[in-house]
Amino acid sequence: MRLALVEDNVELASLLSQGLKAEGYETDRMTTAADARAALSTTRYAALILDLGLPDGDGLSILREIRQRRDPLPVLVLTARGGLQDRVGGLRHGADDYLIKPFALEELVARLEALLRRPGQLLGRSLQVGNLVFDTESRQASIDDRPQMLSAREVTVLELLMRRKDRVVPKKLVEDHIFGSSGEVASNAIEVYVHRLRKQLSERGANVQIHTVRGVGYLIAEEKPA
Amino acid sequence: MTSFKSIFARIIFLHVIAMVITAMFMPLVLYWFMKSSANDLHQQAMRDQGELLGAHLALDANGRPTLDLPPALRDLYSQAYGRYAYAVLDGSGRVLFSSRQDEAPIFPRAVQSSEIEFLETRQGDAAISGVSMQKQVGGRTVWIQVGEDLAHRDVIIDDIVAEFFKRVAWITLPILLLLLASDIAIFRRALRPLLRASEMAKLITPKRTDVRLSGQDIPSEILPLVGAVNQALDRLEAGFRVQREFTADAAHELRTPLTILRTRIDALLDRNVAKVLHKDIEGMARIVSQLLDIAELETFSIDRAEQADLRALCAEVAELAAPLALAQGKSIALSGTERPVWVNGNAEMLTRAVRNLVENAINYSPAGTTVEIVVDKEGTVHVLDAGAGIRDDDRELIFRRFWRQDRRRSGGAGLGLSIVARIAEAHAGTVGVENRPSGGADFSLRLRRIETPIQAQAVLAG
Repeated sequence: MRLALVEDNVELASLLSQGLKAEGYETDRMTTAADARAALSTTRYAALILDLGLPDGDGLSILREIRQRRDPLPVLVLTARGGLQDRVGGLRHGADDYLIKPFALEELVARLEALLRRPGQLLGRSLQVGNLVFDTESRQASIDDRPQMLSAREVTVLELLMRRKDRVVPKKLVEDHIFGSSGEVASNAIEVYVHRLRKQLSERGANVQIHTVRGVGYLIAEEKPA
Repeated sequence: MTSFKSIFARIIFLHVIAMVITAMFMPLVLYWFMKSSANDLHQQAMRDQGELLGAHLALDANGRPTLDLPPALRDLYSQAYGRYAYAVLDGSGRVLFSSRQDEAPIFPRAVQSSEIEFLETRQGDAAISGVSMQKQVGGRTVWIQVGEDLAHRDVIIDDIVAEFFKRVAWITLPILLLLLASDIAIFRRALRPLLRASEMAKLITPKRTDVRLSGQDIPSEILPLVGAVNQALDRLEAGFRVQREFTADAAHELRTPLTILRTRIDALLDRNVAKVLHKDIEGMARIVSQLLDIAELETFSIDRAEQADLRALCAEVAELAAPLALAQGKSIALSGTERPVWVNGNAEMLTRAVRNLVENAINYSPAGTTVEIVVDKEGTVHVLDAGAGIRDDDRELIFRRFWRQDRRRSGGAGLGLSIVARIAEAHAGTVGVENRPSGGADFSLRLRRIETPIQAQAVLAG
């Protein structure tokens, strides 16, 4: 899968492309806005990683041009500016996501995968946390490649959690998915499902942990070796 | 002399002094002028009468002087009228002719010289004033004396002069007072643009360096001062901007090398070393972010119309901070009201404030404990931790820049709480800390709740 990486710092660009290569992505590197425009007009990329600070122009103008063409190319913005205006501005101009420097390569890869996994994008359908894998198409969970039987509601909860691995899934979101936004919700219904799911996964040897963030929601993460 | 702070008071004070002096001297000077010109008129009249009398003097065949007055003149000098009198004397002082019955000279003490002499004398009630002048009549020298009784009821010029003080002088005082009043009004009007300019100047703060004094209506004498002040402000603003931009640029510039460093560390084979270095980089990245926050806060001023849902933004902070807490074996929880709590303020800034409080609490609490965020419906957020708490002596200090409870700890420059304090201040709120009875600190951020939010839907936290 080929990605466009527009980053004026040659050293960083080279390190990122090495890191991405290790994850199975080929990258074309551009250091100026002009190069980026030229490359984007001739090549079809899976996604664009765009640094906002470029020597010959603002990265945001490239982003604007892409969106004016109604090009659905997923764009992940890298920015050294973390200011209020910059962030809001970046998303308003059509960035799909942004990362503030310094970021971990892991984080970049994770965000990229999330973008590529969106409807109509190119990445495969399976989500993974530790030894737990979830196939979004067949809605099948497996632990160490052994398929697991789970109830429909447990599957819904698990999918939500795994789609937002290492991030909190608000309880409200889970409620909406299970009961619909208008339905009456028994106050502890979600707790019950999560409790059951947690128990099932742990009994079947998944090395994942579902954390409760009281008053907020739930988060799935790989279990830390004690 | 008293020194006045106010230019207005100074002008009025000097004006009053000038007015008092004018009020005293102007009538006196006018009186003196009136009196001297009345005197001149009188003397001129006397001289003319003397000349007229002289024209009727002649010598008869025996060489003796004769005076043949027409009836009109004779009436004028008649005893009955009593206003005018004349006498003609010869060189030895003998009276040749006189309008008086006693044939006495009008001015007995007149010096007989060639000069016209002005004289005054009193005879009973009469105050006689007049001239003594030399006249040649056919080779003989005589002196003509003409006098007028200034106390005579027909003489009014003296009365006018005397009445001047009683009737006229007092008018100058109200006129001067009126002048003073109108001057006060004029000065006030003239100074008003200056007052407006000072009102403008009051708005200038390090956060609002864009204000300039308006030159509109400013008197041309003051305009150079206003211009110079504005130019000084331009220079100051440029200085401020350079300083602010430096902080922001420096922070930006640090981020790319930090990313490179981080990516290199990711490639290290020794995972333990990598882990330790990652922590260091996270600490540095945090300082860089906080410096940027501070640079941004320097110019931040809140829009009065902005509203934020405190409860929603606390939920967002809890979501964002949860992975961080869990990674350190700690937990985070949100409690308190479950309904929206609308406050006046900028959601992004308030999110930063709460995030800083929460990150601070996570950093200072031991593993296995929970950081609790409590939102009450009055617009206060409490962030409770189970750490060591804050010493009483430090309660004020911790909100200052670069202050840290434990200087040996890495990962922070002590900027977080000062950012919270600054954001609270910008929102007319307060931040404080108490120790919990059960141990640990209770940070509270108090904001102004609004009863009826204008647009309860559109403002999203962050």
